[in-house]
Amino acid sequence: MTLHKLQRKTLIPAQIAGYALTLFVGVTVVILTFQLYADIRPMLTQQTDVFKAHTVTVSKNVTLFKSANKESVYFDADDLEALQEQPFVKKVSPFISSSFNVSATINLGNGHRMGTDLFFESVPDEYLDVDSEAWQWDSTSDFLPIVIPEDYLSLYNFGFAESQSLPVISERTLSQVAFNIHIEGNGARRTYTSRIVGFSGKINSILVPQSFLAWANRTYGAVAHQRSSRLLVEFTDASDERIPAFFQDSGLNINKTELESSKMVFLFRFALLFVFTIAAIVILLSMAFIVMSLNVIVQKNRDLFLNLYNIGYTPRQISRYYQRVVSLITVVDLFAALSAALWVRQYYVQKLTHVFDLDGTVTPIVVATVILTAILLAAYNILIYRIIRKTVA
Amino acid sequence: MKITLHNLKPQYMSESELAGSDIYLQPNVVFEQGQKYMICAQSGHGKSSLLNFIYGSSRAYDGTIDYGEAVADPFVLRRQTLSYLFQDLCLFPQLTAMENLDLKNSLTHYKSSAELTAMLDALLPADKKSQPVGTLSLGQRQRVAVVRALCQPFRFLMLDEPFSHIDRQNAQAVAQLVMHEVDRQGAALIVTALDAIDLFPFDHVMQL
Repeated sequence: MTLHKLQRKTLIPAQIAGYALTLFVGVTVVILTFQLYADIRPMLTQQTDVFKAHTVTVSKNVTLFKSANKESVYFDADDLEALQEQPFVKKVSPFISSSFNVSATINLGNGHRMGTDLFFESVPDEYLDVDSEAWQWDSTSDFLPIVIPEDYLSLYNFGFAESQSLPVISERTLSQVAFNIHIEGNGARRTYTSRIVGFSGKINSILVPQSFLAWANRTYGAVAHQRSSRLLVEFTDASDERIPAFFQDSGLNINKTELESSKMVFLFRFALLFVFTIAAIVILLSMAFIVMSLNVIVQKNRDLFLNLYNIGYTPRQISRYYQRVVSLITVVDLFAALSAALWVRQYYVQKLTHVFDLDGTVTPIVVATVILTAILLAAYNILIYRIIRKTVA
Repeated sequence: MKITLHNLKPQYMSESELAGSDIYLQPNVVFEQGQKYMICAQSGHGKSSLLNFIYGSSRAYDGTIDYGEAVADPFVLRRQTLSYLFQDLCLFPQLTAMENLDLKNSLTHYKSSAELTAMLDALLPADKKSQPVGTLSLGQRQRVAVVRALCQPFRFLMLDEPFSHIDRQNAQAVAQLVMHEVDRQGAALIVTALDAIDLFPFDHVMQL
């Protein structure tokens, strides 16, 4: 094709390479941050933490004086009332703890068993975001669901497993392990099968449904009167500035991890958004770059385009070669960027999958890349035609 | 087919400059298919302008040009009806003579490559065909441009000062080739020049 031979010489390879490179970098990073956010998001939101937001656990400070007088770590009715009267407190719910013996055993196969003594606590069910089907118990049931602190698993994964060269365990894996719970008191004994149905980042306790604990305390419990050393306090707004001062003055201890982790989540989101924005700007710059390059081509070869126009070539025919070249480069580039992003994702999924449950799909970014390709191609094809038509006509 | 000009006047020329013209500012000037027209004028009297107006590459005129039938697409007109030898030739200097012809011919595929070669052979030394046109002499380039103007179907062939850089002997060869193609296509021939040319059997000689 004589026309293509003529037009190929008008291209500026360095500028095309510059476009391809910036577009590749921009799209790869945009896709990757988008995918990373989609993968990590379940961990940032409630799904890992069974507690509702705006809720903290409160306990009394343990001092040397108080440790001699154990009664003073418990909340009495006056304490509860004082808390409830604060304007920023929405609701106060005491923890109930077990007043009977609890132990757990697990069969390791070939006749070996491993066991440990435990305790239970419970909070009102409304504070838990666990799947309500799993979080159910009635007096006829032999299955007892429990929730354990996220920290237990972290302690094992990042401390024990690391030092002993043992495999790390994900929340999902641990949730599938069944074990036995034995409770004993008042001369009676009963065994339940059990599974961990949730992990809490906010409270360091082993939780069971409140209906179970109320019933079990009545049936197996040693003490009729229930006391609470910890409270669950729900705020109207957790960021109210009177909260830290009040708890300081009252000598109460507030679990701050929730406030800290929401700060972390905010920072993480902000960092991802920042990177995403920069990469999006890089994509826009690459587009500006190729459009400028096309303008340079048209300015340098004005006579050539005018001659073609004069001997009967339409602006559409003159544009076609440039439209094809730019389209081809863009498609190949975006495909390469998608491949690179998926490759990097595979790498981080491999690293993280033992610790977190990553079950995000890549469909959204594939679809997003196809849509981005379509938008870019449409924009370039229209723009190239317009530039050339303006030059010759 | 006829092309009729009504009161045509370039916007950049005054009426006094155009006094005595057989074409400009005349109420009814007809160019008819099959006829041969010679248009003479001194330089600066609007010869190229006239052909550009008819070809549609300039619209800086008052008055009207009537092509006798509706022309929706100027590009169809350029490919099927009008062929034009530009005064500044509009060749592509980086391409060879043959490639220049091919670029034009690929719009309509009117000539076979054997026909292109034969036409070029008649006007150009054999060793010049594969050189970039930019390295040829002005006269040789002008001949390449004439051949290119013949590489399409047309009903009007417009040659703007076709022999300005060509010697008498070569001019005869060019005229022969042009006449052959014009007669074969039954087209009109419109030639402009500074002075009357005796190489074509003109039906009309007009002063611009």
